[in-house]
Amino acid sequence: MSATQFDAIVVGSGISGGWAAKELTEKGLKVLVLERGADIRHQKDYLGEHAPSWKLPFYGLPDRERDQRDYYVQQQSYAFGEPTIQFWNNDRLNPYVRDDNKPFNWMRADVVGGRSLLWGRQVYRWSEQDFRSNALDGHGIPWPVAYKDIAPWYSHVEKFIGVSGEAEGWPQLPDSEFLPPMDYYAIEKTIKRRVQDKLPEIPMTMGRVAILTKEHNGRAPCHYCGPCQRGCSTGSYFSSQSSTLPAASATGNLTLLPDQVVERLEHDESGSRITSVKTINSQTGERSEYTAKVFFLCASTLGSTQIMLNSASDRHPQGLSNRSGALGNYLMDHLAVSHTGFFVDDVDTYYQGNRPNGLYVPRFRNLGEQPDNDADFLRGYGYQAVPLRTDWEATFNGKGFGADYKNSLRDPAPFWIWALRAFIECLPNERNRIFLHPDKTDRFGIPQVATEFEWSGNELNAVKDSGLQAGRILRAAGAVGIDTSDGARLDVGGDAIHEMGTARMGADPATSVLNGDNRAHEIDNLYVTDGSFMTSSSCVNPSLTYMAFTARASEHAATRLREGELG
Amino acid sequence: MRRREFLQVAALVSAGTSVIPRGWALNAEQSAFLAARSPYIDQHTPDLFSKVQRAAVTAASEQIIPRTDTPGAIDAGAPRFIELLVQDWFNDAERSDFLAGLDDLLQRSSGDFAALTGEQQLALLEELEAESADSPWYDFASTLRIWDDTAPFICQLKELTVLGFTLSEVGATQFLRINPMGKFDGDYPFASGDGAYDKDTLLRKLAMESPS
Repeated sequence: MSATQFDAIVVGSGISGGWAAKELTEKGLKVLVLERGADIRHQKDYLGEHAPSWKLPFYGLPDRERDQRDYYVQQQSYAFGEPTIQFWNNDRLNPYVRDDNKPFNWMRADVVGGRSLLWGRQVYRWSEQDFRSNALDGHGIPWPVAYKDIAPWYSHVEKFIGVSGEAEGWPQLPDSEFLPPMDYYAIEKTIKRRVQDKLPEIPMTMGRVAILTKEHNGRAPCHYCGPCQRGCSTGSYFSSQSSTLPAASATGNLTLLPDQVVERLEHDESGSRITSVKTINSQTGERSEYTAKVFFLCASTLGSTQIMLNSASDRHPQGLSNRSGALGNYLMDHLAVSHTGFFVDDVDTYYQGNRPNGLYVPRFRNLGEQPDNDADFLRGYGYQAVPLRTDWEATFNGKGFGADYKNSLRDPAPFWIWALRAFIECLPNERNRIFLHPDKTDRFGIPQVATEFEWSGNELNAVKDSGLQAGRILRAAGAVGIDTSDGARLDVGGDAIHEMGTARMGADPATSVLNGDNRAHEIDNLYVTDGSFMTSSSCVNPSLTYMAFTARASEHAATRLREGELG
Repeated sequence: MRRREFLQVAALVSAGTSVIPRGWALNAEQSAFLAARSPYIDQHTPDLFSKVQRAAVTAASEQIIPRTDTPGAIDAGAPRFIELLVQDWFNDAERSDFLAGLDDLLQRSSGDFAALTGEQQLALLEELEAESADSPWYDFASTLRIWDDTAPFICQLKELTVLGFTLSEVGATQFLRINPMGKFDGDYPFASGDGAYDKDTLLRKLAMESPS
């Protein structure tokens, strides 16, 4: 039992937990952050950063035996590999129950900073339409928050994290507070010029990323080494480690404990107030209990919901704040699918530096009050587009030996590949869910999360449309070869690592877990601000929205605490 | 690392950047870690092959990627990489395929491939390739996978030689080139023979993420 009385306890130190810690400590609250992962230090422990291929085991080829044994889910991420392995969850030590007929891949970090170290860094505001879509087409429940409510919080977050990008004034993709955009490849300029000329209705802009293009809040601009996920010593991309946790620490109000697995939350007799959080030290097995006045769950979508389900009690028999039965349901992700074009333009240009970003084509389908006439699906998708100049890696399997064969390995291929990767909005669906497995527990005795996830016909129809539209765009762009996906083999849920839902917010306690302030309907001092609060998914990358809602909820909690409501 | 750091600084200078951005170099602990970490092939000593097997693999790898005006497979330590991967990275079936293929190669060369003339070595390798010509390993874009576990010996050997060469320090810096960091220029001139850049992430790893 800890003797220290905290004002607030934040569970999780990832992108949401870091923001809660910063906002609450800066408002004068004594904050305890509990992180289940290992303690790593900013800069010093990014041991894979800038490591060249020849210093990596097997020159960077994946250690198949180990990965299959210990990282059988995580190994599927593009960001997983020897230089980042220290950040990832060990699937053997920390398993969940994956239904192979309704598969969901749970990608997890297991360190201080969480997935903010590994994230894709793409940041896009939701639009007015995104917040209205549930109410308009009847899928899911209406959002209790409108764009105008969250817009100032987007600004608040963007000014701190630093977002580079181009201001465009598009209603479907509101501008952020921008630092200068990154530069284009020559082939991208060619493509954009042609598409603007032939398909003016298809907009295109430089990817909006939480990566600095000039010095910002004491952090240096990007040095374009490329693989951000290895960690960034200069803090040029936003992470909890580089930005929010140092800010929280600077207030003198932060206590951060790593290796703390949260088992459950306890409440008072009324059931309307959380009193403490019970933890198990992952290294020593030691059990602790910490008390505070207000509690923030920022343990990731599946992690926070697991804690709420496992905190079931006589007052909350189905899990905390779950009279609606919605807790655990309406799990969403984005369905990502790639379409590829080959270009023989600009082959006499190459590049210097690795730009960790691509172009973005914002949603252009179903932007009106009614769906487009030729659309057999609701909502939409955006494309993230990356240029790729392939080389020996793709073509080394030719015949021959000696100097000619060697020479064939030297130069990049005489063409550019430009891949349009559609990220498709996923409708909220009650059958896509997580729950606590009735029998299986983890090494701490905590019931394992079980998952069930399937794409709906709406997503599958959107996949086909994204291929048709990509074909139009690639033809207009001058591709000499086009390979669009027919949707025969698709990613499974979780693969986009945009999982969200399972503790959705809404105005009606009968159908939702949280209210519009991210506060539990049935518990006065419990806020949940990671992806689990999401009531629909939009098609844009979600982290910026988690950050904005977390900052807004922190303001709400601190105000109520100051006014004595949570005293 | 010294060459790489030199190139980074050279890139900044040639780009006209008068001031190195504050703090973008590695900190002392990271630098010490990387500097203390010798190349992968120097960290382990393979002991899988017999002397004659090792000599055969060495000679064959040099036939695949010979020294020209740039270093070759032997200069880059590719033979050592091949033995380490067959020993420590291959699964049992792949290793057994490789060793059977290697013994077959030795039999066809009267027990000592390395003792043959260069012309004879090349002829034998071409013979193996002709016999394996129908392998899917040669199919277009069949390279987008972690490893082709059906690859016949000659294809295993070629692929390990290519990886052991291009991903080595010698191959990446003296045959290919290091992509300098510090700034991004998306319209940088390219002329034939300039060479592709070294790798931070393997395409075959990226291909694993997206099954579609």
